[in-house]
Amino acid sequence: MLVKTNRQFTILTIGLALVSFAGCSGSSDYPEAFKSRFVYSDRTDSLIAEAQNGIGELPGVKKLVDDRFGDPQDLMAWTKLPIDFGGISGKLAETPDASIAVKELKISFDGELATAENETILLQFVTGTAAPSVVVVNAWQPETGLASLSAAMEVAPAAGDEVIVGGGQKLVHGRGLYMRHCSHCHGTSGDGAGPTAQYLTPRPRDYRHGVFKFTSTDALSKASKDDLSRVLRNGIPGTYMPSFVPMLNEDDLADVVEYVRFLAMRGEFERKVVSELASDYSEEAVKSRRDSGESRKDIVEELKSFLAEDMQDSLEFVTDDLSGRWDSANSEDALVVPEIARVEDTIESRRIGRELYLSKTINCADCHGISAKGNGPQTTIYEENPVTKQLYTEPGLHDVWDNVNQPRNLTQGIYRGGRRPIDLFRRIHAGIKGSRMPSFKNLKHEDIWHIVNYVLSVPFNAEPGHAPVATSEDPATAASL
Amino acid sequence: MIASSNGWWFPGDAMSPLGKRIDELFYLILGIVTVVFVGTQFALGYVIWKGATKKDGESAEFSHGSHSLELIWTIVPAFVLVFIALYQMDVWAEFRVQSYYPEQTQEDGPKFEVTARQFEWRIRYPEAGQPLKNQPEPQDLYAVNEIHVPTGRPVKFNLRTDDVQHAFFAPELRVKQDAVAGLIIPVWFEIPVAGEYQLLCAELCGWGHYKMRAIIVAEPQDKVNEYLARLKEDQDFDGVVKDAEEE
Repeated sequence: MLVKTNRQFTILTIGLALVSFAGCSGSSDYPEAFKSRFVYSDRTDSLIAEAQNGIGELPGVKKLVDDRFGDPQDLMAWTKLPIDFGGISGKLAETPDASIAVKELKISFDGELATAENETILLQFVTGTAAPSVVVVNAWQPETGLASLSAAMEVAPAAGDEVIVGGGQKLVHGRGLYMRHCSHCHGTSGDGAGPTAQYLTPRPRDYRHGVFKFTSTDALSKASKDDLSRVLRNGIPGTYMPSFVPMLNEDDLADVVEYVRFLAMRGEFERKVVSELASDYSEEAVKSRRDSGESRKDIVEELKSFLAEDMQDSLEFVTDDLSGRWDSANSEDALVVPEIARVEDTIESRRIGRELYLSKTINCADCHGISAKGNGPQTTIYEENPVTKQLYTEPGLHDVWDNVNQPRNLTQGIYRGGRRPIDLFRRIHAGIKGSRMPSFKNLKHEDIWHIVNYVLSVPFNAEPGHAPVATSEDPATAASL
Repeated sequence: MIASSNGWWFPGDAMSPLGKRIDELFYLILGIVTVVFVGTQFALGYVIWKGATKKDGESAEFSHGSHSLELIWTIVPAFVLVFIALYQMDVWAEFRVQSYYPEQTQEDGPKFEVTARQFEWRIRYPEAGQPLKNQPEPQDLYAVNEIHVPTGRPVKFNLRTDDVQHAFFAPELRVKQDAVAGLIIPVWFEIPVAGEYQLLCAELCGWGHYKMRAIIVAEPQDKVNEYLARLKEDQDFDGVVKDAEEE
């Protein structure tokens, strides 16, 4: 059957095997060599084996991740995550009489349950005592909301229990599209290491940090669904990310976005769980602990008691943080909206923008250079890797993915995050996440607009290093230069 | 002709006037080739049949050279080839030679620029009422994978590539033109009927070649203007929604 029970959290299981290999006995028939796998991060591999794989019954990082996310053939829909997994959900309208065998349920669905004739309806319980069991509906009467089951239920459900039909459809659809169009660069696990990734500069995004660069949300928020779909729609000029419209339609885009968010959350969940363990139980930490006299056996005992007693709390914390942040990114509060409309793009405004650009406090020129060619003094320094505390071997600014990520040459007129004034405003207000472009959210919005006006004028100035001046006595002509 | 009327293997009707003439040439050449192919196959069959039906003891005839035969099978195909070469010249010139492009396009100049890149089409329109420049201008409008053109008049545009070689292929319009690095190539087409037409890349340009799909939307000029106005509004969007617009 398609459901795996886990008492600690609710999960819907989405079986690919069930979808495309109806009649076969299940995913075990899939030839081993052709199975796609999610890979674990290097940081997971840096832990000692016991922390990775668990001790006895106690799950390690790998199992904790797999239980919640599954693998590409057998995706899990962890209902704690703010992901639209698809399907039509509903609620049990009446508590069935438990004194007789429950073979009929009265359900009210949120949407219309459209099913083809002869199609088997699988109804899964999401909450209540019957969760996460699945029942087969033989006949469904939309008028009365009555569903006749093929067999009596083992556990009687109660009114208000949430149910879902076709749960995970969106995720499965998104996965199919992702595997076809995205995975060759972004990788099956979203690690940015697909087979064609090595040919690309800049490198395709590794989603597993949960960080996306170009967002409409404030500095501390995640990317919203709209941000991701905008990138799919428009591509990213200056990189190899193309536009996927009109090849994909609106539904396709939405489903790919959900799947990418799913991969990002999987990666981030894994990272955070590893972070709970890394300081004490990485190979390196264990080595230095043994050097200072602890025995490996004691360390493993300690890990065992940590996994048994403290892990649950850690997981709850990690989960709440993860789901809360990915959820709130879609709220209106997270959106960066200027308080005032764009300041009129005059020579004077550009001049003020130029002054702010060069000013000591904002100092755009420190990275982007006095001539805005992306060659400021910061681009030649050797940075320290914030994780390993060692100097990078290459000079220049690095992003959180450890790639050299030099500041943009603003004279080229290529704007990766979009060329609308609001896009540039948001880049300055919220920064570019994961990169060294910081957030300037404390600037007056008027000043940000001056800088936007200056930056947008840079590609059209013969000498971008010079402050814009009126070249004509008629200011109207000069302004439209 | 049976296959054609049933749509077997053949492209659908050309949707541009020049495309229709290209199709006529195609079917003419196909007809000539069919006659030659069937004729030579029959001749070959006849020779084989003749040889196979010779009685035992009858020896084969050997002949070496026939001046008149040589002349016939050289001159007749030469005439056919020269005829095709001359007959297609005006179509070719109108399609590829700039000075023979329709007068309208000479007057209008290029209306937009299409830049192919791995793996999408980026479109740049000049500001309303302004001519297209080869270098971007501050008020230019940008779009991806969607081209809007007016119906019923020839439209010329500049084709370029950001990286490798691509080919602008609009099958329904019978337009196929390579985009070559370093060159700005003027291309034109005319679409009489409003609708959406496919744009594909027809030069294997890398692993994402198949992703280079776009649409050409043909619509009346005022609709195109509306589209460009929308594009401009979106491009100038500063994130502040006026209260009046919010109701």
